Amino acid sequence: MCARTHGMHLFAALLFSALLVAGCGSAPPQGASEPINYRLKWLFNVSVVGDLYAEAEGLFAAEGLQVTVKAGGPEKDAIKELELGHAQFGVASADQVIRALAKGSPVVVIAQLFQQNPLQWIYRPDRSRFQTPDDFRGKTVGVTFGGNDETVMKALMAEGGLGEDDLTLFSVRYDYTPFYEGRVDLWPVYRNAQGVIIGDKLRRAGEAAAFFDPAAAGVRFVANSVVTTRAILEEHPQTVQKFITALLEGWRRALDPANAERVLAMIQEHDRDTAPPLLREQLEITRRLVRPDAEARIGRIDAAAWKQTEEIMLAQNLIPAAVNVTASLVSP
Amino acid sequence: MLPKRIYQFVVIYLAALGGLLAIKLVFALSDYVIPSPADLWQTARSVFNRYLGDVLDTLAVAIVGHVLAIVLATVVAIIGRLTNWVGALIKVAAYNLQAYPIVAVAPIIFILLGDGLASRLLIAAMICYFPLLLSFIGIFAEPVADIEHFYTITGRMRWQLEVKIRAFENNAKLITVTAGSATLAMVGTIVAEFFGANAGIGYSLRIALYQSDMAKVLVALFLIGIFTSLYLALLERIGLWLQHKLLLPKGGAL
Repeated sequence: MCARTHGMHLFAALLFSALLVAGCGSAPPQGASEPINYRLKWLFNVSVVGDLYAEAEGLFAAEGLQVTVKAGGPEKDAIKELELGHAQFGVASADQVIRALAKGSPVVVIAQLFQQNPLQWIYRPDRSRFQTPDDFRGKTVGVTFGGNDETVMKALMAEGGLGEDDLTLFSVRYDYTPFYEGRVDLWPVYRNAQGVIIGDKLRRAGEAAAFFDPAAAGVRFVANSVVTTRAILEEHPQTVQKFITALLEGWRRALDPANAERVLAMIQEHDRDTAPPLLREQLEITRRLVRPDAEARIGRIDAAAWKQTEEIMLAQNLIPAAVNVTASLVSP
Repeated sequence: MLPKRIYQFVVIYLAALGGLLAIKLVFALSDYVIPSPADLWQTARSVFNRYLGDVLDTLAVAIVGHVLAIVLATVVAIIGRLTNWVGALIKVAAYNLQAYPIVAVAPIIFILLGDGLASRLLIAAMICYFPLLLSFIGIFAEPVADIEHFYTITGRMRWQLEVKIRAFENNAKLITVTAGSATLAMVGTIVAEFFGANAGIGYSLRIALYQSDMAKVLVALFLIGIFTSLYLALLERIGLWLQHKLLLPKGGAL
């Protein structure tokens, strides 16, 4: 490699650093009219229905906020964007929050969207019944290695006193063929998203589908929550209050059965690949996961479940030491 | 040549790392966003051996895939140079096929072939095959008029000799293209592992990204860079050796 090429590589590295610097450290919202970015965890689908509804119905604007709801994705990390100043609010999974706290991130949780974790395992009830972790014995169970479903499954195994030799863990990717072919007995899905779609495919093939919910076995691993930084919370408490008020109102209205048709039309615009009847089913299940009973307050932070989530991660050495996650749970 | 490539890579890596650490310092970012040197060191110590095995696994697949691609591209390019229309057809097909992004094709390959070695190998070979083929067709289809003319008019021209003349006259290009495509083979293998395989450094990178562990990602990138540089240097040496030992007959002329 010649010196010129070498120099170009160095230049590219410096340019990259400079671009990163230029994008860093955007100030938190200074006032009500400052633009606010809200980074979701995943793409626009039924799991973010309340977030989209709050934006579409002008609930943020009604609070005097200019909020842009941004789709997430596998390569997006809301907590990193908060620290880098690219977003002021975001959605992160509990394991992300705890990992971030373990690395000194100033993240705080200001609302817990799902009271029940949508992560469950689909199976065919006519072949095997899965009521407790002990039923996994001798079965092939799908997990995404490195994903939080692996963490939950290992917690379930520990709960049931199962070792690695008692069952076969199957590496899960985007391809559901091994489950359709019956090579895998249990397959991890988000109950309100893929769970509905795969269940529908099984029904069309004349098969029944059932779901194993880890919470039924005592493993309450928290799912997605709304996060911000401690600095934003302390320096702009009113903005945080307004944001969370508008957001939770968006969720309340989106899950109100009276608004179902309007909500479905909105979701259909963002998620054109899911058939309307399936969207309706997804919305119904999302409603139960976010608000398990009519009395439950949307956005309630379940401190006990957070504590258990931290304990699970600590037991599996996913964090080097306790982070006292409850200290970072704040209801504004 | 070998230490120089490594040295160059280490300098670039350290410069980029220094830039990241400077950003971390200036903006007071946590270890979650950019790992501290201590975090990086600790992570390196805990995952180095495992990642080393993963990189060697990936490199082995990349090398086999690369060799397959070279052999196939050479054969097809030699056939392609026979007649204009065959060459043109192969060229058009190669241009069209390489336009498909591998990320779109990879899932189909994994569904058809599973998540084992075959898929990784095929994707590694595919990603470096088409650029190689296009270059090889260009080289083998281009007559070296000054030299070939003599053999043609004396009736001694054979296709083997024609290929040999063109390869010799363009050996620098061939070496550059072959070495360049090695990087593609490595990239192809890592992409394949990232999307569907259950082994290799691409798979480990995927898990590290799932866990938002930037320290692991940086350690993996370091090892990938070192071993890719080593492979490139090795290829260049082989190219020089071929140039001196195989293409040059004992008399020093063709």
